[in-house]
Amino acid sequence: MSNAVLEAIRTRRMVRALADAPVPREQVVAIQDPVTLRLLRMVSPGMFQRPRAVIAICIDGQRARSFGMSPTARGLYVDVGTAAQTMLLAAHSIGLGAGVVTSFSRAAVSVVLNLPAGFSPEMFICLGFPAARQPPAIRPRTPVTWQSLSHWERFP
Amino acid sequence: MESTMVLTEDEALELLAFLVTAARTQLDEAAEYGPLRLLTAAGRLADFIAGRASPATQQFLSGPLRSLPDAALRSVDPAKYSTELDAVCEAVGEHLVNHFGGSAR
Repeated sequence: MSNAVLEAIRTRRMVRALADAPVPREQVVAIQDPVTLRLLRMVSPGMFQRPRAVIAICIDGQRARSFGMSPTARGLYVDVGTAAQTMLLAAHSIGLGAGVVTSFSRAAVSVVLNLPAGFSPEMFICLGFPAARQPPAIRPRTPVTWQSLSHWERFP
Repeated sequence: MESTMVLTEDEALELLAFLVTAARTQLDEAAEYGPLRLLTAAGRLADFIAGRASPATQQFLSGPLRSLPDAALRSVDPAKYSTELDAVCEAVGEHLVNHFGGSAR
């Protein structure tokens, strides 16, 4: 396949085991302080990996209101997912492993990161160099393909 | 029986934070994440104590508990999941009897 974008989408994987090597500052600006990373992992039951850097994607409730949106409007969560997917592909394109985490205590994370009032942490992008050994992929009993998830035209 | 201290305050706090925050996240997540979180906590506890526990407990910790994948979910294969958990529970029971003393089967 010669299309670089499609190749990046095809080869990107959710990386659940990360190596100890630090992520160079010039590659990403995120949470890198080892103590903060350790605390985030303590309050994030879904964080299996030990990331060397974390990007916290937040919803700024006050900013949403300034646009006339409710802080819980569906569109904001779509934006979170879209931003995450872009970051995952960007990380993959520069050789970084990345995995998303949404299972964390928003209350505890807000304290750990000292988030301003109105900020709601919604998703972590955990970054690092992929470990040599990855856990086995979780495969559903019924294989999921793009065909099984797609319907053409109207439903019958 | 004299018991050895196998957990530091930092490790205990980490585990406590995990359990409390897992209780909260579980309110919004799939029911099958419940056993997953408990097993993750058990795995982290095992990691913490492995280097300080008695040789017999270390041997137990390296047994069936380690064979469960980190992110195993019941829905992938319910029968296999139950069987594997039963094997871990059986190993737990055997180690408890050996460690604390009791009537073996």
